[in-house]
Amino acid sequence: MTGVLASGGCHIFSGCGFPAPGLQDFNWKPFFTIGSFAFTKPMLLAILAALVVIVFFWAAFRTPKLVPRGMQNLGEIAILAVRDQILRPSLGRRGDSYLPFLVSLFFFIYIMNVMELIPVFQFPVTSRIGFVWPLVFIVYFLYLYLGVKHQGAWGYLKNMIPPGVPWPIYIILVPVELLRFFVFQPFTLGVRLFGNMFAGHLLLTIFTIASWYLLTLSIGLLYAVGSFALAIFVFLLETLVTLLQAFIFTTLTATYIASSVEPAH
Amino acid sequence: MTDHGTGADTPAARARKQAAAQGRAQGLETGWTVFSYLLAGMAAYGGIGWLIGRAVHVPLLFPVGMLVGLGISIGYIIHRFGRQQAMTRPRKGDNR
Repeated sequence: MTGVLASGGCHIFSGCGFPAPGLQDFNWKPFFTIGSFAFTKPMLLAILAALVVIVFFWAAFRTPKLVPRGMQNLGEIAILAVRDQILRPSLGRRGDSYLPFLVSLFFFIYIMNVMELIPVFQFPVTSRIGFVWPLVFIVYFLYLYLGVKHQGAWGYLKNMIPPGVPWPIYIILVPVELLRFFVFQPFTLGVRLFGNMFAGHLLLTIFTIASWYLLTLSIGLLYAVGSFALAIFVFLLETLVTLLQAFIFTTLTATYIASSVEPAH
Repeated sequence: MTDHGTGADTPAARARKQAAAQGRAQGLETGWTVFSYLLAGMAAYGGIGWLIGRAVHVPLLFPVGMLVGLGISIGYIIHRFGRQQAMTRPRKGDNR
């Protein structure tokens, strides 16, 4: 955001070039440092996101009633949405034991994403890839563990390639399957979330700065209005993207768990 | 926990919603698996090509390996997912 602040008096036709946003808008000055450890805004937002999830579900279910009221109603809707839209379609009723994990994962990612759209916060935590990899590793080690537990180490590796493939093709496919499973599957899981949030934030920043930059009593005003309209459009789009990315991450986690618990057909 | 508040009024509506959710999850998985196969094929055989190319001093084997890997991936994707799609799709002339 330093770029935005620095562009305070910077408008078109004033001899000032467009202060294009870039990677510098994803780097934050630390609030404080302890030795080489620097505590930055994304860290604070990640902690806040975790607290929001914990406090919300604690408040909803600290004294659960048979006939839910108030917060418990909201909590149940949230849990049932994850159960019916994410867990059950992939894992069926047998997967209900993974519900607490998937609910926590979904809402933690969603709150981290939606920080982008909340005034004052205005930064999606997941647009810093360092916050995405730990989530990917948790999911990755969970489905590896479950796969080995349910199918055995050898069976798990063998079942990566579905049966019915002739053995010469089997040999050709082994490097592809191994690389896909151990590298590209977790890689795409993380990069998709990061990439979408990164691009969304960059788009929002570009159109917001451009609106300000073009805001002059000239033809620039017309462009400023156009840019501002696009900023609003991207904002609305991002309300959907933040939810969608949390949904995709959690849905794929559920399908990976399902393929670990039972081999592919 | 009760099932109220989900908007699933009748068993038929609930089954429809479940089928739609299942389709979404399957579609997501298939789409991203296909994407991972394309990358993995190119990386695996590109890597093998690069290694052999380094050993025999033929740098061309790296791009050739990538193309071979891409071909293998595409072939396998058609074999695995194309057949799956064909099995779920009704036959030509089947108007049921």
